[in-house]
Amino acid sequence: MSSWLADTIERAEEVNDWLSPKRKKSLSLLKDTRWPTRKTEAWRYTPVNNIERARFNVVESQGAPATDIPHLNAIDIVFIDGIYNAELSSKHFPEGLTITQLSEGNSSSWALDSFSKTKPERHFFGLINDALATQGCIIDIAADATIEQPIRIAQSFKQGTQTHTRILMRLGERASACVIEQLEGDELCFNTSFAEYQLAASAKLEHYRLAMQCADAISLGGCHFHLAEKAKLNSNLIGFGSQLSRVDYDIIHAGQFTDSKFNVIYLLDGKELFDLHSAIEHTQPNGKSEQNIRCIVADHSNAIFNGRIHIHRDAQKILAEMNNRNLLMSENAQINTKPELEIYADDVRCAHGATIAEIDKEAMFYLQSRGLSRNEAQVLLSFGFINELVDLMNNQAVAQWLRPILKQRFAAMEVS
Amino acid sequence: MLKITDLQVKVADKDIINGLNLHIKPGEVHAIMGPNGAGKSTLSYALTGRDGYQVTRGSASLDDQDLLDMEIDQRATAGLFLAFQYPVEIPGVSNMEFLKVAVDAQRLARGATKYSASEFLKLAKAACKQVNLPLSFLKRGVNEGFSGGEKKRNEIMQMIMLEPKLCILDESDSGLDIDALKIVADGINSQRDGKRSFLVITHYQRLLDYIKPDYVHVLADGKIVKSGGPELALELEAQGYSWLESYDRNAGDASE
Amino acid sequence: MTEQLDEALSREYEAGFVSDVESRTFEPGLDEDVIRRISAMKDEPQWMLDWRLKAFALWKKMPEPDWAHLQYNKMDFQAISYYSAPKSMDERPKSLDEVDPELLRTYEKLGIPLIEQQQLAGIAVDVVFDSVSVVTTFREKLLEQGVIFCPISDAIREHPELVKKYLGSVVSQKDNFFSTLNCAVFTDGSFVYIPKGTRCPMELSTYFRINELNTGQFERTLIIADEGSHVSYLEGCTAPQRDENQLHAAVVELICLDGAEIKYSTVQNWYPGDENGKGGIYNFVTKRGICHTNAKISWTQVETGSAVTWKYPSCILKGDNSIGEFYSVALTRGAQQADTGTKMIHLGKNTRSTIISKGISAGKSNNTYRGLVHMGKGATGARNFTQCDSLLIGDKCGAHTFPYVESRNPTAIVEHEATTSKVSDDQMFLCQQRGLDPEKAVSMIVNGFCKEVFKELPMEFAVEAGKLLEISLEGSIG
Repeated sequence: MSSWLADTIERAEEVNDWLSPKRKKSLSLLKDTRWPTRKTEAWRYTPVNNIERARFNVVESQGAPATDIPHLNAIDIVFIDGIYNAELSSKHFPEGLTITQLSEGNSSSWALDSFSKTKPERHFFGLINDALATQGCIIDIAADATIEQPIRIAQSFKQGTQTHTRILMRLGERASACVIEQLEGDELCFNTSFAEYQLAASAKLEHYRLAMQCADAISLGGCHFHLAEKAKLNSNLIGFGSQLSRVDYDIIHAGQFTDSKFNVIYLLDGKELFDLHSAIEHTQPNGKSEQNIRCIVADHSNAIFNGRIHIHRDAQKILAEMNNRNLLMSENAQINTKPELEIYADDVRCAHGATIAEIDKEAMFYLQSRGLSRNEAQVLLSFGFINELVDLMNNQAVAQWLRPILKQRFAAMEVS
Repeated sequence: MLKITDLQVKVADKDIINGLNLHIKPGEVHAIMGPNGAGKSTLSYALTGRDGYQVTRGSASLDDQDLLDMEIDQRATAGLFLAFQYPVEIPGVSNMEFLKVAVDAQRLARGATKYSASEFLKLAKAACKQVNLPLSFLKRGVNEGFSGGEKKRNEIMQMIMLEPKLCILDESDSGLDIDALKIVADGINSQRDGKRSFLVITHYQRLLDYIKPDYVHVLADGKIVKSGGPELALELEAQGYSWLESYDRNAGDASE
Repeated sequence: MTEQLDEALSREYEAGFVSDVESRTFEPGLDEDVIRRISAMKDEPQWMLDWRLKAFALWKKMPEPDWAHLQYNKMDFQAISYYSAPKSMDERPKSLDEVDPELLRTYEKLGIPLIEQQQLAGIAVDVVFDSVSVVTTFREKLLEQGVIFCPISDAIREHPELVKKYLGSVVSQKDNFFSTLNCAVFTDGSFVYIPKGTRCPMELSTYFRINELNTGQFERTLIIADEGSHVSYLEGCTAPQRDENQLHAAVVELICLDGAEIKYSTVQNWYPGDENGKGGIYNFVTKRGICHTNAKISWTQVETGSAVTWKYPSCILKGDNSIGEFYSVALTRGAQQADTGTKMIHLGKNTRSTIISKGISAGKSNNTYRGLVHMGKGATGARNFTQCDSLLIGDKCGAHTFPYVESRNPTAIVEHEATTSKVSDDQMFLCQQRGLDPEKAVSMIVNGFCKEVFKELPMEFAVEAGKLLEISLEGSIG
């Protein structure tokens, strides 16, 4: 066992709060789980040994909050270096919305009950988060409530911090809401950030995870969704890589007539790595899921995608699609993708496609024949390639805020 | 304006254009007709510089600038415009954004200042209207989900915006019904200002009812085998291309 | 509808008979002494024995892999006999007249006539019965053109320079658990050498038969196509119907030198076990080829047998402009499990690979495609196209796809597509409305699904493969 892990376990054993019964269970699972290495299938392309070597402190919150998203008009929940900042956070919530802090303790039995219920046990760093996340929030939306204002959970991380945060959200029947998880920071830090979302029957969630930590940051996290009958999810993930960025997504279609859409953009530069593992579980018939994953990989970066569609026995009449397209822009960059299907029902329509290619030559010719230089055409087309997914975002404030950021990041990329 | 001398073009090691000569003066409209496989599209791709179209002999210049020496985009900013037979779809890149970058490049090449956003929008709207495309098309991805006719009209709109010196229209009439054809032809005619030249490539005479050419050339086996006035197009319409075969045989005999 | 389809898919295993041949069989168990005895039986030189012992030492330290999507009872490697040969083969027969008639009858029953007059024109056959090669036809005729086609045990003695140079050069001694075991205990198999610039005048084929109870078959095949040569090689396999599981752990190595082409086709019809998963062959096979400049290897496989299949015929595209192809039909039914696919390792410039995989699952079976496409740093301008289609028949089976795609070169293009579908009620209705009975309808739909792969098979095999599927689909609908 690495000294880092030993320290972590030691710290976890000292945590004592209302979630302790859950934490104890995860901690004992953690002790039985092997430290992931390259031989661990889920970590095949993503080395985690830099975690063992790095030293982190738990420091007082001192950094700046995450960048503001103009025109968003959101309900803000702000964490700086993993600690809730009441001053910068919204205090008044519309009817039907309750937000409490994990650190306050929560007497409601559903919160204790639901903690670590949607997130599968297999996630090594999820177990660490279970044991150590004392900061985070619990969002409860009453049945039939429609929360018009988006809820923004903004997290920023500074040099040398080690933080663990957790989001737990419940949408009541027919409730609807939009949640934006924003993560920022480019200095060496270590954070785990996991979120669990429970959608009751006919609930609707619009979700964004803007995983925009980059450069030296080490970030491990996950978003786990549980969809009851007729629930609908539309989730968008923006991935900037960093020294180590790993996100696990689980979308569990646990009721009939559930519908999920999941769009992902990777934009990697330098020596960044971004690793997404997604699992779409269809346990009930008549569900629908669609995933689009687009990656642009430059310089010495490494994009990893492992997408799994799992159709359980008797989950008939499922429509599941996954489309993964990658642009490899540099000789030193790499793409590792594995789109999996695991199917146990016959009356389903499942398809996945994965391509790794250069920019479309025909489109290049078209643009150049209109007078655009090679470089201009390349930038426009590559940006178009990811912008297609930005165009599909429902929240215009987020889309408008993102476009120039993505464009700028792309323009600065090292391509060959 | 456009001067092509003894042009030879290879595609995948096969000679497609073989000793073609053509001279277009400012303001003239030339039509090139010919059977399938005669090399009509190859000519347009060779002139615009597409990869895989290798010029092995001859020259081509636009206003005395050597076209063959230039990059694709340099040819475009020198004033060469190709209206594609099958315009490619580019999802995610909006028509508006694309047009703005392309017009900026033209302005830069001519030493003119960029249009401001509002000036540009005004021009784009006007062009849109002229080819009867709804304004919403400006926001959509380039050619994305456009019908065949809409794509062709979008090509003409780009032509209007980019104000080229020489326009090559590659089968701009194919796949159009009569109403769409009129709109396309009107768009093209509106750009005839006595200085701008056109090279109209078409299989059928139909388009030439609407865009009156000054000269008609027949392309077969990679060279111009016959030239004449507009009456030649009518002749072709009546006789088809089969008479070319006998012409070929004669030519073959003669060279032996 | 599903029941009808299921019934349509049930079939008798036609190759399930046992030949009454008196055999010399080693006691079950595996140690150095067993390996020495195998080597002695084969009259091998010392270097071969040393090579085997080295592999055995490696194998003892290796764990059995568990990453495949397979569930089976782990084998007891001490309960298997590693050598069995008919007593009549003690003295190797010099001609067909000396071969035990019972052996000849066995092959005749399997549709492979060995009697001179009945031999299939244009196909040379090496027949391997348990641990020995019984006969190799047309051996002399092929030698006239310099083509060497013989049992590998003969090649070890007669062509040691070729065997030493290439054995273990594509699949190294420590490649994987099953291949390393094979290195230690392999008994027979075929050896092929095609000289420079030669187009092998006939199809070469090897027919493998496991007959004896409790024995494993560990065949080893080595094919060397010298520069500019061409060969088409076919492989078939069957085994008797028994309640016990039997292990088949083969290694096939292909060496395709500059400008050469090897076409390797397999129709695998080992005994699949009964409906409930009792008995059947455990088929753990390592097949790999290396392509030098401008060379081409094409793998085609039709996998209908075995209780468990673990097999990934692969290509290392080392030379510039080399080509790798993989065409596969895998049909699982009853309690069969297949985890099969390919690896295309692109190292050279402008290398090309095509993967077409068709998986059909019925009954309670599980059918997995597992593949790797790797574009190395040097694979400038390389291309891969992969198409994996699964057809599910019935709601108790499973179809899975695990493709790994890795790219390290920005000019390489990879395209991967996968779909799953079922034999739809609409398709069945249409066929039946046009007068086809349900059996024919399913057979036609499944055959259509597999067409892209069948057209890659040599003609004789395409017929056999078609028949195999037809038999599979034959049933009691009426």
